[in-house]
Amino acid sequence: MDFEWTEKDRAFRARVREFLDCELPPDWDEIRRHGPGSREQTEFSLKFCPKLAELGLLVPHWPSEWGGGGLTTWEHFILGEEMWAAGEPRGAQYMNVNWIGPTLMRFGTDEQKRRYVPQMAAGKAIWCQGFSEPNAGSDLAALRTRAMSDGDDYVITGSKMWTSYAGLAEHCFLLARTSGKAGDKSGITIFLVPMETPGIEVRSIPSLIGHGDIHETFFTDVRIPASARLGGEGEAWSIINYSLANERVGIPRYELSARVLEGMVNELIVRGAFGDTSVEARAGLASAACEAARLLVYRVVDQLARGKDPGTDANIARAAVIRADHAVSDFGLDFLPDTFSGGDYHTHLAHHERAIVAGIAAGAAEIQLGIIARRHLVLPREAC
Amino acid sequence: MHFEPNEDQTAFLSVLEQMMSSAAAGWKASEDWQRFDWSPELDRTLEENGFYDCAGEETLGAVAAAAMIVQLNSLPVTVEAAASALLRPLCAATLPRPVAVIEDDADGAIRFLPVARSVIQIGKHKVRAAVLPAGAAGPVESLFAYPMGTLNGAALDWEQVDVDTESARNRWRVALSAELAGSLKGGLEAVLAHVRDREQFGRPLGSFQTIQHRLAEAAVRIEASYLLTLKAAQTANPADAATALGYVQDASTAIVYDFHQFMGAMGLTLEHPLHRWTYRAKLLRSSLGGALQNQALVAKRRWGSR
Repeated sequence: MDFEWTEKDRAFRARVREFLDCELPPDWDEIRRHGPGSREQTEFSLKFCPKLAELGLLVPHWPSEWGGGGLTTWEHFILGEEMWAAGEPRGAQYMNVNWIGPTLMRFGTDEQKRRYVPQMAAGKAIWCQGFSEPNAGSDLAALRTRAMSDGDDYVITGSKMWTSYAGLAEHCFLLARTSGKAGDKSGITIFLVPMETPGIEVRSIPSLIGHGDIHETFFTDVRIPASARLGGEGEAWSIINYSLANERVGIPRYELSARVLEGMVNELIVRGAFGDTSVEARAGLASAACEAARLLVYRVVDQLARGKDPGTDANIARAAVIRADHAVSDFGLDFLPDTFSGGDYHTHLAHHERAIVAGIAAGAAEIQLGIIARRHLVLPREAC
Repeated sequence: MHFEPNEDQTAFLSVLEQMMSSAAAGWKASEDWQRFDWSPELDRTLEENGFYDCAGEETLGAVAAAAMIVQLNSLPVTVEAAASALLRPLCAATLPRPVAVIEDDADGAIRFLPVARSVIQIGKHKVRAAVLPAGAAGPVESLFAYPMGTLNGAALDWEQVDVDTESARNRWRVALSAELAGSLKGGLEAVLAHVRDREQFGRPLGSFQTIQHRLAEAAVRIEASYLLTLKAAQTANPADAATALGYVQDASTAIVYDFHQFMGAMGLTLEHPLHRWTYRAKLLRSSLGGALQNQALVAKRRWGSR
């Protein structure tokens, strides 16, 4: 067991930080304040990601034939930590890097790969994820959006809800039902849908979590060719399980939380308001929550790096990550409440907006706890 | 960064596991329904086979010692492992064991004193140790699931130990967090067994979502405590030590409450061993200042004292 970084890992992190120091503009805090789905950050990502790609830092863990650089799982993960902590200058493109790209490489036709993967590897592709629906959130298999086969085409009708990044995305990784009723996993199919296709309407939902982050997306008789289908009919569930296994622990949120906590404490020190045991203890509690999340996540990355299935360790890590985000945000709200109104504390506001999503996006906290209970603690399934 | 034990650590923990499954380690209701079950047989076996000296072995180290302490504390029986395996090698490796530890000038009852053969005192300004002469300590009745005792006013032949108090305190923090993490782990396993089997309203208690989620939360915190403890054992970083102990002490209050809630009236009996773990936790959570002081110490270590 070894909890220290190797020299190589440290050097890689330093290289990424140096790049960020050079490339992030002086007004970056104001840009990132609007969130990864905002127009400001999306436009920035389209300039920033190609530079990352040039240095081999956009898709370092991908195979070389698709622009990858042969870097390790740990290096990919360090990159993710640094990007998130810097306010995610890749914008929505982190999804391409982490799972949409690898999924297309594994399950896509040659044409699909040629059409989409190089654009992602070049840092010029914005995708959204069409999963949740008004009646299918945590219970994703309840989705009803239907894709009816019609000659060489499919015709898609239905609506998606909470669609992240849909407002500016060029393509949607869409789940739709080709057979069966709501609840039937074996009737769900994946489609790669250009967002400019007639019949698609996107409405932004004003929210607490930044601009352009969540949307309603309506599909009215949207006709797409059968060549837009990824994998076979009914294969969505198994493909998605593979895809999400690629990121398992999700966003390394604790890295930003730990740095924001550092900033909050420094602010309190400057104000002469740090030193009381009760304030110190709350800072220590939040710091420990970040470290707990970090170690639980690293345990998963370590297993992925060694080709092992982390199983429920990934769910345990996610639950801890959510706690850490809230511990830091709550610390700020309790001891620096003025920094959340007006002023120049963009980082506190941006972190808060990220933190309140942590227990909702990509599998609610309660879903994680349910999985831990049943699969890790071997408790009986809940009675219906 | 890797989380798998090395070859020697794997072998060490595997043999430990075998010893822990022996009859001497298994729970039994003692005839006099004591609040603890001191296991001299297991303690002797571990000592004779050099387990308590593992921290000094290059390929095992303090990480293996911390992992061992966690495992041993998950047992319903009690042995004195934390001071022997982590504090003694730092302070006075030849001290006879079991070892009792006095934090500061505490004049109350001390853990393990009735079974201890020596004592280490971590004072404000110095660390000292003494061998306990026969009859120097006596047992006292206690709420907690340890053999508790006091010194009978005997003058001890103290020897100052050549280690600074902060190093000793940091090492002791790691040892305490390993004990507390292990006690919570043992309690969790006992509660899980109960809620899987016990039926109410026609279904197992463990199928109720309220219980599932609270036990899942407990599991997350216990797993985190384990990793924080092992990391602190390896790095010997004072902030890591305070982080580990502050975290598990903070977590233990709600976890212990939940354990007893889910065990119901059975958990109020001396017959069921749940109290063996939870009444260790109720003592350990106040050690070295308790959660609040240890969390504040994290801040002091990271951002300086003001």
